Amino acid sequence: MNELSTDNHKNSSSLSIKDLLKKVFFIDLIQGLFITFNYTFTKTITERYPDDEKWIPYKRFRGLHTLNRNKEGKELCVGCELCQKSCPTQCITVIPMEDKTGKGIADRIAYRWEINLLRCMFCGLCEDACPTEALKLGREYELASFSMQRQIRSKEELIKPQPIPVEFEGGVIVRATLEKGDKEIKVKPDLSVQKRWW
Amino acid sequence: MATVKINGKEITIDDGTLILDAAKTAGFDIPTMCFHARLSKLASCRVCLVEIVGQKKLQPSCVTPVMHGMEVLTESPVVKSARSSMIELLLANHPLDCPVCDKGGECELQDITFKFGPRQSPFGDNKRRFNEEDYILSPVIVQNANRCIQCKRCVRICAETVGVGVLGSIERGAKTGETSFVREYLDCDHCGNCIEVCPVGSLMSRSYRYKSRPWDLKGVDTVCVYCGTGCQLTVQARKDEVVRVISKPEEGINNETLCARGRYGYSFINSIDRLLVPMVRMGNTLEPTTWEDAVRAVRNGLSEAINKGKKIGGIASSRLSNEELYLFQKLMRGVLKTNNIDSGSRWDTAAVKTYAEIMELSKGGLSIYDALNTDTLLILGFGISDENPVTDYIIRRISGNKKMNIIMASPRGMKLDNSAVLSIRHNPGTEGVIIGGILKLIYDKNINSLKNLGGKDYLKDLSKEKVSDITKTAWQDIEAASGYIMASNTITVAVGSDVLRVPSRIEFLRMLIEALRILGKDVKLFPLFDRSNQRGALEMGVHPDILPGYNFIDGDGLGADGIIDAASRGEVGALYLAGEDILSDFPDGVFAREALRQTKFLVVQDILPTETTEFADVILPGSSHAEKDGTFTNGERRIQLVRKAIEPLGGKADWETICLVAKALGIKNMEYSSPSEIWDELAGLAPMFAGVNHKKLEPDGIQWPCPDIDHPGTAIMYTEKFNRPNGKALFNFREHIASAEVPDDKYPLILSTGRRRQHYNNGSMTRRSNAIFNQWPEESLELNPFDARRFNIKDSEKVLASSRRGEMEVKVHVTDRVQPGITFLAFHNRDALTNLLTNDALDPVCKIPEYKSCAIKIEKLNGHK
Repeated sequence: MNELSTDNHKNSSSLSIKDLLKKVFFIDLIQGLFITFNYTFTKTITERYPDDEKWIPYKRFRGLHTLNRNKEGKELCVGCELCQKSCPTQCITVIPMEDKTGKGIADRIAYRWEINLLRCMFCGLCEDACPTEALKLGREYELASFSMQRQIRSKEELIKPQPIPVEFEGGVIVRATLEKGDKEIKVKPDLSVQKRWW
Repeated sequence: MATVKINGKEITIDDGTLILDAAKTAGFDIPTMCFHARLSKLASCRVCLVEIVGQKKLQPSCVTPVMHGMEVLTESPVVKSARSSMIELLLANHPLDCPVCDKGGECELQDITFKFGPRQSPFGDNKRRFNEEDYILSPVIVQNANRCIQCKRCVRICAETVGVGVLGSIERGAKTGETSFVREYLDCDHCGNCIEVCPVGSLMSRSYRYKSRPWDLKGVDTVCVYCGTGCQLTVQARKDEVVRVISKPEEGINNETLCARGRYGYSFINSIDRLLVPMVRMGNTLEPTTWEDAVRAVRNGLSEAINKGKKIGGIASSRLSNEELYLFQKLMRGVLKTNNIDSGSRWDTAAVKTYAEIMELSKGGLSIYDALNTDTLLILGFGISDENPVTDYIIRRISGNKKMNIIMASPRGMKLDNSAVLSIRHNPGTEGVIIGGILKLIYDKNINSLKNLGGKDYLKDLSKEKVSDITKTAWQDIEAASGYIMASNTITVAVGSDVLRVPSRIEFLRMLIEALRILGKDVKLFPLFDRSNQRGALEMGVHPDILPGYNFIDGDGLGADGIIDAASRGEVGALYLAGEDILSDFPDGVFAREALRQTKFLVVQDILPTETTEFADVILPGSSHAEKDGTFTNGERRIQLVRKAIEPLGGKADWETICLVAKALGIKNMEYSSPSEIWDELAGLAPMFAGVNHKKLEPDGIQWPCPDIDHPGTAIMYTEKFNRPNGKALFNFREHIASAEVPDDKYPLILSTGRRRQHYNNGSMTRRSNAIFNQWPEESLELNPFDARRFNIKDSEKVLASSRRGEMEVKVHVTDRVQPGITFLAFHNRDALTNLLTNDALDPVCKIPEYKSCAIKIEKLNGHK
């Protein structure tokens, strides 16, 4: 280390004319800026996340769970508890009930369907176990929040459609806006504007 | 003995054993669907087919007995493919709606399909459908006939064990469907045994419907709290909420059968109005407080009563465990120095003592299966089908398979009458005279042999006319009964607690037993108890004259009635009621209410608010049987473990509360870490329990006596002599005394009270179960059709019933279960305060409140102003 620092000292003390001129006319800076300038005309590899852009994952992505309805709008979940049974981290709680109002596809629906995201490892076994395809792991991945309580998500929330529709292919970056809420920060995507204009 | 080869393994086994059982002995499990060990054999599902070498066709192993030299193959390729096709055929019409089916996870069809079944189905046709939606078959049953696989287990158990036979099948062949007749709402026991035996999800429990999955449930094997039969059951809870009760096929004396109360009467455990915090009276209201303050208040109240020299009384419910009852009597006797202790409030001390002697309780007794190994069974003084339904099921099942005479004597008709060769109807409270009549006939025919019969002088003036007059029973019935008894070698006498209300004639029973023994007959005695731990309460010494382990004393203690009587005169300074709702139970509600008002200090330890808790000075929250460990002793002296399913909701189990009170009173030696420790202390005191400890009681309990730790318990006890030092019974005979109130022109009907099948005592527990409450929502007065015509009253009509003490509006239920001139009302419902109507006349000798007889009149409501 000591040797190296003395070398540097020697070099700096013996400046040549060429080096001096380089310094006066900012040649290094211009060279550097030229490289930077060149990059403005190449394909961007960074994203302006979370302010302007957001990456939409592929369909196979395993993010936040979503509970689906069928085309008639009936709840597909029959409260069979198989997701709960298959869960390796035991983070799902299902309490079924009898439904006489025709809310679900069967007369058995989930009275409570809760998932503890703090424990969930997004393995997707619950999705495999679901006999009615009611449960899917969706494409929402912004799960940070200001309170632990927020990490326990219930049926009432999960049954609302996620912002990214199932048909959307994904694998793209779209325009997005950052929304700061009381409980969490969300980046809201606008699927119509895909930021790939060149 | 037959020697058979099963899959090449040679075993020797009894003749007539089924191949199924033989294979199990040899270690090969054959799957079954329609087979049920305790039902008649049907062999309709054909899943249990086996190959017998030398026979062309496969045979169902559940009906084919083994024969000597037989060679059976249970795992050959032919058997395997046949079995798989049978399952395939069962599945052909079985809907694959396992995710919504309540049985999913414990379904027998699911299990055998996974184990043996085909993995695909070639059937593409539409499945048979009886109904699109599940339909409600009864207050407790929901049916989905599409799932039915026609095993007919429900039909068989309903007809053979439960004895109501309301289920059947309609249509034939592939269209067969099990259901109620014409798909009507069932009027049955609502016991749910059909649900229990259903291998698939065709019959489902309404109260458990879509509540949970079997794998979520944590269950403990425990004992039913509702009657003295002592059924073992499994209480299953999901996260501190009891969601259902099931019974296991091979455990306990009940063997999978339960009654409506046992199966559905669990809702009170998680009832919203449970008493959860201690309360202390401040002025006119009860204020919630801490355990420390409540216990301090109890201590102050009890000490004040001691200091003032007032009487202290303690009444413990026989629903408490043995350990708690023992501690309770230790607290009363050891700490508060009083013998004023009793269990329940309907019986009198002297009567219980007599009953204990006659039924030889202190000597032990028989198990129910030994008791039923008899030629003649005489059931007396007990509404067995209503009070001990499972004993009724066991008797029906056993008597259906063998030659056995059942003689029933009761004032009110009941279900078991169908299985009886003779049902004697008599006036309420005349059981003793019926016995006297039978005895008289036997005595007259065997005067020479019965020369030395004690107390024979009492028979002299008991004439045919007198018996018929008192009991209102045809003399032919009594003759027939004595004929059956004399023709049998073994006679079982099952006597219930109704006899205790008329102890003046109970001596006839003692004489009858002695006479039959002199005549060389084998007499078995089987006591019937209406409360889960009634026998335990006697054994633990919760009785003024009995110390733990049946040490009879002649103390000066007061029984429940004595305590209430003393209280009404203001002599009782403090009264400790543990789990007892004395106001609902006591025959005369007005009198008991006045007595509680006169009591200076009343501690009530209970799980639910009752009428009695309204009078309390301190309420200590109790714990239900699902919240504590302990033991119950059933009617056949089997000590069985009660286990904790959930933590005590009030924070403390009853035994902990009693220990706290004792500690507050400054007692050092009443601190225990667990009920097991209490039991060990008790076992050291009573030689008959010496070898019993909690560990040893698994799984089916032990029947005492069990003198040392290696002793297995005593299942059969034969007692030749009376439990008296000289071998002779002491007689304390009392002549028949007519009821204090006999019907006259003004009040022409007799009102008798008792229990219904659906409810238990004051109903505070059973009425909180929707499943049970729906079965009997409103109390109604049973009236014979003859009387209904006489008074021009229709079924379900509301009438005004009045006695000399009170009146009430009540619905009428016209039925021939009651005799003409007699009406019946149960005391479960708070709305129908039956007790206001009954008679508080105490039996002059035994001080038993007259429960059965009270004269009433009924009037039509619309004509009444």
